[in-house]
Amino acid sequence: MSNIVEAKSLTKNYGSFTALDGVDLTIPRGAISGLIGPNGAGKTTTLKALIGLCDVDGELSVAGRDPRIARHKLMEDVCFIADVGILPKWLKVSHVIDYVEAVHPRFDRKRAEKFLSTTDIPANKRIKDLSKGMVTQLHLALVMAIEVQLLVLDEPTLGLDIIYRKEFYDRLLNDFYDGNRTIIISTHQVEEIETLLSHLVFINKGKIVLDSSMSDLSDIYTEVLVDADMVEQADALQPLYVRKLLGKKSYTFESVPREQLKILGELHTPSVADLFVAKLKEEKHG
Amino acid sequence: MGKFAVLQFYALLKREVLEHRNIFIGAPVVVALLLLVATTWVAMQIDQSQLAEGLRFVSVLFDGLSPLDMAPFVMLLAIPFYLTLYVCSVIYLINTLYQDRKEMSVLFWQSMPVSNFQTVLSKIVAIVLVAPIFYVLIIFAMYLIAMVWLTILGISSDVDLVGIGYLFLAAIASLVLIYISAVVTGLWLLPSVGWLLLFSAFAKKTPLLWAGGVFILVGFLEDFIFGTQFLANWVASRTSDPNQYLIFEFQSVFEKGF
Repeated sequence: MSNIVEAKSLTKNYGSFTALDGVDLTIPRGAISGLIGPNGAGKTTTLKALIGLCDVDGELSVAGRDPRIARHKLMEDVCFIADVGILPKWLKVSHVIDYVEAVHPRFDRKRAEKFLSTTDIPANKRIKDLSKGMVTQLHLALVMAIEVQLLVLDEPTLGLDIIYRKEFYDRLLNDFYDGNRTIIISTHQVEEIETLLSHLVFINKGKIVLDSSMSDLSDIYTEVLVDADMVEQADALQPLYVRKLLGKKSYTFESVPREQLKILGELHTPSVADLFVAKLKEEKHG
Repeated sequence: MGKFAVLQFYALLKREVLEHRNIFIGAPVVVALLLLVATTWVAMQIDQSQLAEGLRFVSVLFDGLSPLDMAPFVMLLAIPFYLTLYVCSVIYLINTLYQDRKEMSVLFWQSMPVSNFQTVLSKIVAIVLVAPIFYVLIIFAMYLIAMVWLTILGISSDVDLVGIGYLFLAAIASLVLIYISAVVTGLWLLPSVGWLLLFSAFAKKTPLLWAGGVFILVGFLEDFIFGTQFLANWVASRTSDPNQYLIFEFQSVFEKGF
């Protein structure tokens, strides 16, 4: 099976609030996939649904299992790191390692200890006495020592300073990712992970707005820095989004051949952040 | 069940004890210390010859009697621990799942390959079977200290130490009774255990209030709508008479003892 995640029309309501409104999602094995969306878009709900922490309606298969039925079996193949607060505060670092070693059949204690030895985390301290950055380092060390197929990260670097954030993603890419494993990262700090991603998903108001591989993205979306005298022609091609940029206008086009756009000005592939804004604006107006 | 499953369950129990060490260890240690301090204080108020006289009486009373027969009497000394365990169990059961959710660590626990069934089972086993072990060990430590005192007092006041030895044996035997009766009580009260855990798992706020409130409300509605009191009577019948779940009847023990 080439897709590690296959979801069809996932729906979740919290009272009158619709968190997920028919989410369709496929994530191929080996992808590093970014789940991008504004606050309250349904990112966390989607991720929780993938690992069986949230009951949703619809069809869902993760690593060949239905997370709603077999969460504990699924978690042998899937790891999850959320916003830093979730390691139990009262536990000592050594206790956490003992615990994971005892309950997780695929945990390699030596590997975890090797990772930890490169950090300043003392083994006899309680989680609540560690800095936010250290808690994330610890959690990452645990996860990297587990032989899993899928790693789900929900805003993993929220509230961390730039050094910890950079180190986090460096480690993830160099020490965890091996081309076979799949990583799903939700964040709204898009710029930071843009270069890592091989797959991109936008979500807004509980709906998937975009689901594409990064390589397809450059085929479909083009950003043109339009010269002043070409503006009318550019407008005629029905741009997705237009913004002013240092006296010029930047146009983002969807599915317009590059050949056709070349005459308008300088061509780029839009950055994920710009594309995100463009797609969300389109939602609003369209 | 494989070896891994056993180690896994052991880790779950260890987690409960570590997380709630105040419930499992702290509370009974405090009770033991209070009892020791209180006894010392009382002993200091009494004239030493009177103290020796009291000890001599106990020594003669226990001398030659089967420790197993006398154990239920010594067991009465453990009543403060029994009550503490009772209160601590309620606090533990109503908080355990609620706290995980409140501090968000539930996301970590559930990200491990442990089923909800295993988690809940580990909590029940921890409080019903494991907590009494800690209580019994702490009571044992308290008895050891008390025995050292009594032995010193016995030697200095020339009291027959054999009787005190019998008292000690009865105290040891009572530990087994304390453990068994604590477990039997826990099993007898399993419906309440489940009820408290249910609200610990689902209440948004103040789970104890919900657990108590819903219960009272259901009883009230039963009375109001049907004019019956089955719920109240059922609970009263299960809790009012300790003979239902104590492993022996004190009355028959007394008759046998004297």
